Amino acid sequence: MQNARYNPPQRIMVKMCWAVVVAALACLTPAARAATWEQPAAELAKQIAALSGPGAVKLTLRNESGLAAVEIPAIQRLIERDLRGFGVVAGGKDSATLIRVTLSENLQGGLWVAEVVEGTETRVTMLRVNLGGATSASGPPNLVVQRALMITQSDPVLDAQIFTVGTLARLVVLEPEQIVTYVRSSAGLAFASAPAGGGWVEDQRFAIAHTRPYPRDMRGELVPAAQDHLFDAYLPSVQCAGTNTGAQIAVTCADSDDPWPVSGPVGNQVAGLVGGPTGVPQRAFYNAMRDFFTGVLAPGYGMDLPPFYQASDIPRPTGTGLLLNTVDGRLLLIENNTLKPIAGTNDWGSDFAVLRSECGSGVQVLVSGSGAASAGDSLRVYEVVGREAVAVSPPLPVEGAVMAIHAENNGTGATVIVRRDAPLRYEVWNGSALCH
Amino acid sequence: MVRRFVISPCVLWLPLACLTLSAAARTRPHYGGTLRIETQGDPWQMPDGIARRLVLDTLTTVSDAGSAQPALAVRWESQNAAHRWEFWIRAGVHFQDGEPLTSDAVAAALTDVCSRAGAGTCPWRTVRGVGSSVVFTSDSPVADLPEMLAQTEFAIARQDVKAAVIGTGPFRVTGYTNGALTLAANDDCWSGRPFADAVEVRTRRTVRDQWLDLSVGRADVVEVPPELLRQAQQQRMNLLVSRPADLLALTIAPSGPFASREMRQAATLAVDRMALYNVIFQKQGEVTASLLPAELSGYAFLFPSDRDLDRARALRGGATSPPIMLSVSDTSATMQLAAQRLALNLHEAGFNLQVATASRPTVALELQKVHLEATDPGAALDQMLAHFGENGSVTGTDAATLWQEERGVLDKETIVPLLWLPRAWAVGERVRDLHILSDGEPDLSDASLEGGK
Repeated sequence: MQNARYNPPQRIMVKMCWAVVVAALACLTPAARAATWEQPAAELAKQIAALSGPGAVKLTLRNESGLAAVEIPAIQRLIERDLRGFGVVAGGKDSATLIRVTLSENLQGGLWVAEVVEGTETRVTMLRVNLGGATSASGPPNLVVQRALMITQSDPVLDAQIFTVGTLARLVVLEPEQIVTYVRSSAGLAFASAPAGGGWVEDQRFAIAHTRPYPRDMRGELVPAAQDHLFDAYLPSVQCAGTNTGAQIAVTCADSDDPWPVSGPVGNQVAGLVGGPTGVPQRAFYNAMRDFFTGVLAPGYGMDLPPFYQASDIPRPTGTGLLLNTVDGRLLLIENNTLKPIAGTNDWGSDFAVLRSECGSGVQVLVSGSGAASAGDSLRVYEVVGREAVAVSPPLPVEGAVMAIHAENNGTGATVIVRRDAPLRYEVWNGSALCH
Repeated sequence: MVRRFVISPCVLWLPLACLTLSAAARTRPHYGGTLRIETQGDPWQMPDGIARRLVLDTLTTVSDAGSAQPALAVRWESQNAAHRWEFWIRAGVHFQDGEPLTSDAVAAALTDVCSRAGAGTCPWRTVRGVGSSVVFTSDSPVADLPEMLAQTEFAIARQDVKAAVIGTGPFRVTGYTNGALTLAANDDCWSGRPFADAVEVRTRRTVRDQWLDLSVGRADVVEVPPELLRQAQQQRMNLLVSRPADLLALTIAPSGPFASREMRQAATLAVDRMALYNVIFQKQGEVTASLLPAELSGYAFLFPSDRDLDRARALRGGATSPPIMLSVSDTSATMQLAAQRLALNLHEAGFNLQVATASRPTVALELQKVHLEATDPGAALDQMLAHFGENGSVTGTDAATLWQEERGVLDKETIVPLLWLPRAWAVGERVRDLHILSDGEPDLSDASLEGGK
């Protein structure tokens, strides 16, 4: 079999990515970080001075926290400088007053502790310090796809999509208990305060009322509405509709067992067909007590299907096929009213999205990794050639676990939800295939 | 110079990997199957019995960072300077027999907990249901009540006509035969049906039997005592290791031979924590002189843990010591060895110690292992003080206040913290997504099995 060939690397894009990385690294240099410690160093110096009073002291400092060693001298200099402002002069080796500063931390964050030892008496003062991202030098997931962080937050995210009305783009984030909308901040690309990143600021939020308990492995999906409103949100036994009301959005939710749409946008835009040879969009019934679709499609193909986790249209040489990832770990393709198993998917996880790109055949499948993931998750791009899934990129590690992948509305990218621990947070990435 | 803190590599590694097996659910969890777990203890024992967590829920839970999160209560409010608290109960929750969860049922369950546990156990004076909320009142402020209510001690339980325990948790009791407690999935659980159809808890199994059952596929989750962690690693078991979860501590009765503070201080200075750490517990956990783990408080290093035998001898003086009994709260061989090691330490300082083979009600010294459930520093200190019989609750939440309160207690020299130990579990190959909770217990409700449907 002939391997797919790809376009040469997009050098401008690569350079832009490097520029972002270099800029981010520059922000973490000790000189830049020193400014972060100005305020806590001043506060701790004030507390120390209140205990010791003015005079010469011997100052020691040790680091029992996750702060990088290169940051410690700068912090010590700041504390010594601020102590001088209160008449406390560090450096007196023979001084009767010893000040032991320990940069410690606990589950809530940094804890700077100063012990003022004078003879047999030790007095202690403590200061809680926001370490921010200082203890972590880890960067964003190193994906093979071109990517941009849309938001990061502590609450679980099920899906996130951008819906545009006129010139106003809204980021809609689907959570289990609420829908939150964001608009672009006036500061353009400047990063907004948490939870939103990438210039998004919160606009509206709507509670999702549901009468039945949710399943433990919670899933949900945002899809563009066909006619009279902006979007639909599907959750287990609940459906919400988002309507544009001028400058604002209105959302209404109700209990529903209606099937979820599974005909993705790629089929629409690439092949000009919707939902297979019949041209009818396919919908799938979701098992609201579990985490999968029952296998019953509407209107269906006249065949019995096993329960599956995800389904998506995929353009094929003969029209549009439907790709299914079954609960028992197989990948199936419905093509020309025939159900065919696809080989080469042992490394596939449960989530995938079909993407349209300018590389290779023009259609790729973005897939999360399979199996136990004690070393983290991964993303990989495949093409479905004949009855075989062919990897067209190396697996690239993701720091965290990929919780869901949803095709974007325009079919060129995917929303990737990543869960990261310690501290727990959910990241929403926009990913698309990057040509090699 | 002896290092004050010793943290094993695995404990340092904990935040990344030890707490979760296959934390990243790369393929979605499957439903179905029976999860088989074996323990040495009683599944209903307080506070850490494995069945309690599976069958019962608490009003709150705590995040990894120790802050209270909604569970059976959806929100709460402190009033009158934390002398009065109001918790609003989640709507639509049912007990496993179909009875709705009401504020009156919650108040009755908590009142029952307090009456069974005895006076002083509960930090409130009254608890009552008012509409959809439960109101607590107390004579002194209880700043960390939401975090305290996350402890399984305060789980909400009822008994049916057959005196079986009924809760609102992900599993319900279906039987107990031949030392095996069987639980079935609660399909209508408010927090979602668990992935496994059933859990079988085989109780009172020795560690040796547990490991054998795991090796031949008769068990999915078994215990690994900290002193056997190294051996389990050598046997290439799949291990989950918790944060520090159990405090090994020596208590000294301030009467009889230890009536004077100097004698208690002499005993405190005579103990050799490093020997316990290195020899008995095979370098697992962390040496401590604090009632809270270092990662929880951030100030544990302020309590010196070094041995000072010369000073201990000087404080004790030259008088002949009468025989002193050292009792052990746990009859395990490891705890007996630890007690004998402590007896040797104190003997070197001039004390004449004998180790009792079983726990006795009135002894001068007792070696205890105390399970820590709370992960909020204030609630954790409250829990520890309550365990050791120190009256009153912690009045502040900032680190400096907690340190002062803890120092005030430890300065009495009646409690000698020795080691913080992790909890560890070995897990079979078919188990997926098993997490360790903040108190070291496995979270079986979120685990799934390969080959389930």
